Order: sequence, then C-alpha cells, then structure tokens
Amino acid sequence: MFYREAGQYKTSYAKDLQAFPIKQDKIGMFIWGILAVVVAVIGIPGLGYDFAMKAIIIPTLIFTITALGLNILVGFAGQISLGTGAFMGVGAYACLKLTTFFPDVNILIHFVLSGFVAAVIGMFFGLPSLRIKGFYLVVATLGAQFFLEWAFGRIPWLYNFADSGAIEVPTRTLFGVPITGASADVTWQYFIVLFFLAGMTWIASNLIRGRIGRSWMMIRDMDIAAELIGVRPLWTKLSAFAVSSFYCGVSGALMVFIWLGAAEVESFDINHSFLYLFMVIIGGLGSITGSFMGAAFIWIFPILLKEVGKSFGYNATLMENISLVAIGVMIVIILIKEPHGLARLWQISKQKLRLWPFPH
Amino acid sequence: MNEMSSMTPEQLNAGGYSTPDGRPIGSPVMEMKNITLKFGGVTALSNISFNILEGEIRAIIGPNGAGKSSMLNVINGFYHPQEGEVWFQGSPRPSMPPYEIAEQGIARTFQNIALFKGMSTLQNVMTGRQLKMKKNMFWQMLRYGPAIQEEVEHRRKAEEVIDFLEIQHIRHAPVGSLPYGLQKRVELARALAMEPDLLLLDEPMAGMNVEEKEDMSRFILDVNEQYGTTIALIEHDMAVVMDIADRVVVLDYGRMLADGTPGEVQADQAVIDAYLGVSS
Repeated sequence: MFYREAGQYKTSYAKDLQAFPIKQDKIGMFIWGILAVVVAVIGIPGLGYDFAMKAIIIPTLIFTITALGLNILVGFAGQISLGTGAFMGVGAYACLKLTTFFPDVNILIHFVLSGFVAAVIGMFFGLPSLRIKGFYLVVATLGAQFFLEWAFGRIPWLYNFADSGAIEVPTRTLFGVPITGASADVTWQYFIVLFFLAGMTWIASNLIRGRIGRSWMMIRDMDIAAELIGVRPLWTKLSAFAVSSFYCGVSGALMVFIWLGAAEVESFDINHSFLYLFMVIIGGLGSITGSFMGAAFIWIFPILLKEVGKSFGYNATLMENISLVAIGVMIVIILIKEPHGLARLWQISKQKLRLWPFPH
Repeated sequence: MNEMSSMTPEQLNAGGYSTPDGRPIGSPVMEMKNITLKFGGVTALSNISFNILEGEIRAIIGPNGAGKSSMLNVINGFYHPQEGEVWFQGSPRPSMPPYEIAEQGIARTFQNIALFKGMSTLQNVMTGRQLKMKKNMFWQMLRYGPAIQEEVEHRRKAEEVIDFLEIQHIRHAPVGSLPYGLQKRVELARALAMEPDLLLLDEPMAGMNVEEKEDMSRFILDVNEQYGTTIALIEHDMAVVMDIADRVVVLDYGRMLADGTPGEVQADQAVIDAYLGVSS
C-alpha cells in the first residue's frame, strides 16, 4: 500500500540508473539519515550513551566497511579470501607508521592512505587467484593471513618498538577535538566512522553498477564467457582484490584508532577473518544491503542477548556461552532457510510489501 | 535455379557476388588454411580449408563428433591448431588470448548457454558493451559526469538490441529463471551488443521446438540483413541450415566433405553417405 512504484515513470535512462529509482526508497534513505543524527544526540534509548556508541554502534559501522570490502571480493568478484583480518591489520599498522612519520598530517588522510597500503598488499596476495580457484584459493589467502600475522608480531618496527608489542594509538585531533587516543570525543568518532561508511558505501554502489562491477560479476558467473567478451582476468581479479583490501585497510585503521585504542596481533587473527566471512555470508553475498545487515546481525545480536540475559539476572559468562550457541543456531537456520542471506529476505519482503494488503 | 548456384566454387570463394535476395557478399573476412588440430593422439580436424566472406551466413554442419565445435573454437582463438593458419582480415592471425580476439570484433554464443546467471537480462546485454566502455576507475567510483553519460549511451545501445530481439518483457528478470529458448535469445543479444564484425553461433537452435527455431532463424536473418553482420553458425537441423545459410561446410570425422551452396552440398554424394549411411 505504501511501497508501490505505480505511477513513477522514468523518462530517461539517467533517471532509471539512479541508486534509488523508487520514491519510497529515497524517503527511506532520508529517514535513515535523520536517524543517524538522532542516534548521535541521544544514543540508544535504554543503554548508556557511551556504552551504546563504543560497544555497539561504532564497531558495527566499522565492521560494515569490512563486510562491504569482503563482499566486493567474495560476493561480486567470486574470489574468496580468509585474509581479511590480516588485511585490516595492514591498514592499522600502516596508519600507525604513517602517523608516526607524519604526525602533522590529518589522521583522516592517513586512514585513506593506509587503505591504499592494504590495497597494494592485497593485490600481491591476490596474484594466486589468476591460477587457482575455490578451496585452493582459500588456502593461498590463508598463507597471507599467517604470514602477515607473523610479521605483525615479529617485526618490532611495525609497532614502533613498543614494550607491550601492541599498537598504542597516539592522540590525534580534528579541528582541535581529540578523535583518537584515550581522551577522544565519542560523538565525533561516531561521525567520522559514519562519514567513512557513507562515502565508501556510495563508492561501492557506484562501482558495482558500472563497467568495473559488471566485469567482476562476469568473472564470478562464467569466467570463460567473460574472457571471450573481452574481460581481462588479470586486471579484473586484481582490481577486486585491491578495492576489497582498500576497504579492509581503512576499516582496520578505523577499528584500531577510533574504536580499540590499542591492538595486538590477536585483533587481526584468523578467527576475525572467519567472523567477517560470516557477516558477508549471513548478510547476503553480492549485496550491499546485505553487508550492513550481516555486520549488524553478527555484532549486535550477541550483545543484545547478553543485555537481555543480564536484565533477567543471569550471569554474564552464562549468557556469553548461550549467545555463542544461539548465533551458531541462527547461522544454520538462516543458511538453510535462505542461502542468499538476510538481504534476500529483505528483498522478498519488499516484493511482498509492493502488493500488500492485496496479494494478487 | 538461382544465380548463386550457377557460379563456380572459385567464384564463390572469391566473394564479390550478391545473394539471391540481393545482399552483397564481400571479400574474405576469415580464412582457414590447412587447419589440423590434434588432442594427443586424436585428430579432431585434419587439413581443413575454407573461408568466411563478409556479409554472408556460413554454416558448418556435420554429424556428432565431426569437429564442428572444435572448428568454431579454432576460429574463436580458443584452440590453436598444430598445423595451418587462420587468416583474419587479410593477414595471418598470431595466437592470442581470448580477450584480444574479442577486441578484434569476434563475438560468439555457446552450445551450452554461458550466460552470467547472477545478473539480469539487461545486465547481461550490457556486458556486451564492456569493451566499448572506456571511463576509468576514478569516474566509475563517482558515477558522475562522463561515467554516467557513457553508461546512458551504452544503455541506449543495449536497449536497441533488446528491442531488436524482442526481449523487453524480461529486461529485469534474472537470466537463471528464464526458459531455455529465451536464454538462448539473451545470449544472442549479448553477442549482438558487442557489435561484432563476425558472429559465431554454436548450435543456436539446439533443443528448441519448431516455433522457437522459426523465431531464432528469423532473428539470425534479421541480424545479418540489418547490421550486415557476418555469421558463422553450427547447426544440426538440416532444414534450417538449408533455409538460412548462404554457403555450407560439411565436416565428418574431422575431414572436410564438401563446401558450397546448400543446393550443391545437398546433392553431394559424400554428404548423403555421411548423413544417411552408405548402402552396401
């Protein structure tokens, strides 16, 4: 009844090629925009402001960037990587080195630059994809994961020879407001992460709807036909690895500098790589909305479960274990019921909504 | 008897004639010169020579295992023959990766449909425009100005092809969900969107019912007539081939049995033997 595109005619191809051609979707995005500002002011009702920001919203937004990047590689280009955690680490360590060498350059620029460093490293570890596919590629990217993890732990230069062996984030400011380090302002941090997420979502959606995105999907769906149409597998696969790793690098830098404040090798280990892969698979391969949903689901669901448990008086350790079991069960159920992830569920419900309340 | 069948094979091979329905046929686009292709000990093609003239519909026929698809793959540059040369537009073609062949203006469809299953019909047709789109990653990222102009321009071309092949109604449908006949048509649309000089069709009518075959034949003829595209096709259905092809090559067990107009080929004793069996 409300979500119906009847009467909305497109009179030019440019209008048909918009990101949100349907008016209701535009309104929906506008509401999300307002909601993003409202959250910045009041946080999540019922939870403490700092807790809501630090434990839920900011990490979810950062992981969404990771999921977007991984989805470009796995969902759109059909390659697969278990090195996501390590590529995020590359971003984080690159950012630390950059801000050590050039402390006067704005940290936001360093975030972007560390993305480029990760892109180069990602491209290098993407080279095997030209020869091997599927499970074998998984193993090859696993090599990236272990090698980089080793480098993070064993090369003291990377963590500035800190005694702790960890990244210790220095305080950096934006317009005089500290945004990294212990005294950082949470609301500002939120807006910076939101800014990065919005910009990178926009870029991702532009890329996948254009020539480059189509070449990724061609390689994913039928690589032989793609080659005969003129797609160069080398550049297509490597560009997917580069863009994907760029996203991971930026999100890694944000994760350590904005969210964690200090990080050891364990923040970039294989478990995290799996976690990001789950986000993409649960959210929906080959879907931008899916990256948002997957990251939110995997990150927020256990926390909410824990909070609910706490309010019923169960102890935290018990709830933690229960949430692990619950999330495992949910993953299995979702994958059986809807192998294409939450994004497909969302799509189906939109389709249904189009006809509601008269189903015919 | 039409004008063509009164010409000698030499005259036909040189080109420069026009078909009974008045389409001009030009000089050779592609020439196979003594092609021999072996897979280990198996000789798939032995000493095959024929040419494809500009603007004609050239059929390659033969029983199962005759080497038709291998021949198409040689033309396509997917297989490199051990002996012989492939001449393209007047000069020998060095062996090159498939994506460079596409840049030379050769498009093809596949015997087993090779559509991009995760994409819609429109996206599939748009992939045919891939090589003509030049805007770099920077503009693609912004999808603004030149990039969106280019996108619109090629969308228009894609829509023309969609219009031409009458698949407007399935424009936004995911191709995986389409019936077989339509998938074949989308694949043709994708190849056409490349605006090829030479279009290779590998069994475009395999597995179709009579009605679908008629549709497809009409589309092939229309493509040839409207865009002047040179077409080389493989087909099993003799009736269809005799109807639409200008000249036919007959292969059997990797050897060339006959080459000529449909009328000539049909009257050839070796062809009749291969298709109907030799009476003892």
